[in-house]
Amino acid sequence: MRERTENEAMHLSDAELLMSADGELSRERSARARAHLDSCWTCRARMQTLEVTVTDFVRARNAELEGSIPPGAGPRALLRARMRELAAPENAGARGLMGRLTAAAACLCVVAGALLVFELAVNAEGPRPNARVTPGETRPITLAEVCSNPEAEVVVRHISAETKQQVLNNYGIKPGRRGDFEVDFLITPDLGGAETTRNLWPQPYSARWNAGVKDKLEQRLHDLVCSGRIDLPTAQREIASDWIGAYRKYVTGDRH
Amino acid sequence: MDTASIRLTFARLAPRTDSGSPSEDDIIALYDRLRVPLLRYLACCRVPVTDAEEIVQEVFLLLFQRRDKLDREPAGWVFKAAHNYVLKHRERNRREAESADASPRALELLVDKRAWADAAFEERERRNTLTAVVRALPEQDQHCLHLRAEGLRYREIAEVLGMSLGWVANSLARSIARIGRADAR
Repeated sequence: MRERTENEAMHLSDAELLMSADGELSRERSARARAHLDSCWTCRARMQTLEVTVTDFVRARNAELEGSIPPGAGPRALLRARMRELAAPENAGARGLMGRLTAAAACLCVVAGALLVFELAVNAEGPRPNARVTPGETRPITLAEVCSNPEAEVVVRHISAETKQQVLNNYGIKPGRRGDFEVDFLITPDLGGAETTRNLWPQPYSARWNAGVKDKLEQRLHDLVCSGRIDLPTAQREIASDWIGAYRKYVTGDRH
Repeated sequence: MDTASIRLTFARLAPRTDSGSPSEDDIIALYDRLRVPLLRYLACCRVPVTDAEEIVQEVFLLLFQRRDKLDREPAGWVFKAAHNYVLKHRERNRREAESADASPRALELLVDKRAWADAAFEERERRNTLTAVVRALPEQDQHCLHLRAEGLRYREIAEVLGMSLGWVANSLARSIARIGRADAR
């Protein structure tokens, strides 16, 4: 009985077992622990139980978290834009560190969704496509093909559900909010826009600069191209780089 | 996925700009590496996913602001900053909860719904039991456990939580023992 008590006194504690498994013991203590584990079935069994528990915990945790992390493209673009926003006055030496931070924090509080924060923070006039995700992409098209239709986008192009999903994911839009957006072409197919994710973006229905407004621009550009007042590459470039600016320029005539 | 596969390697930021401070791309690279572990940690702290995303953004903006002054491993700093936001978030929610129900958007609720739909019953029950045991642990022990699950070393956990190394070791041993007892039933 006495001998057993002495052996028990030599056993590793739970914390030592875990530290040994985690590689957190010093070299000397680690060597002692290993030597003890080599000789002690009891502690080896305890170590095995501990490892099983860790495995079960991690599996349960991973199962709980599975699928819960939204795509990172939108938030990454948001972070980059915010850093640039902070860096701009920093380079100009216009404001102090805390002032910039406070301004950024105030901006962050306005909108809940990461994508919307990005869009609104970067573009005060309304949401615009993210140039990194949707730079605009064209397919080969002739002027005759463009002008064979009297109106822009007469044929409503079918965008597959899979592609739409990918576009919404790229912008980090949650499933519950997807009904608020139309996955739209940046450069309209009528003007040679390609049916790729680089030319598709989620356009909010409710914003001031919405799909209906953009339709007017597309019709206007179609008319201008087909009447020879601007060439097709210019129209494609204008709508891809800043469609709201293009709307002001070509539809309302406001160049500011 | 086992513990080893979710463990992170906390390499120093590299390369650096001529001035010695991390560039925008360095910060983005670190963000890419740590965003998911941070979101997972925040989810385990029951921070709703939209708030969690915002917290991660704020942490990295703060890191960007302080990039010239950071003289140590940024990963530990990032987790510590996120943890501080969790505490603030918890306090704000506590005040709000006094006048309203807890947020129905909490990640755990979303996750539970999905779990009910697709997991085998026994496995789901077992997982639910383990989850319940973890949530019944003292808050600091939970944080310690989840930080370890995200791959932080004991020294880093101690720094994030402001506790001693010994406390971290005992906390983890205590938590694993309690989970093990529930797991064995």
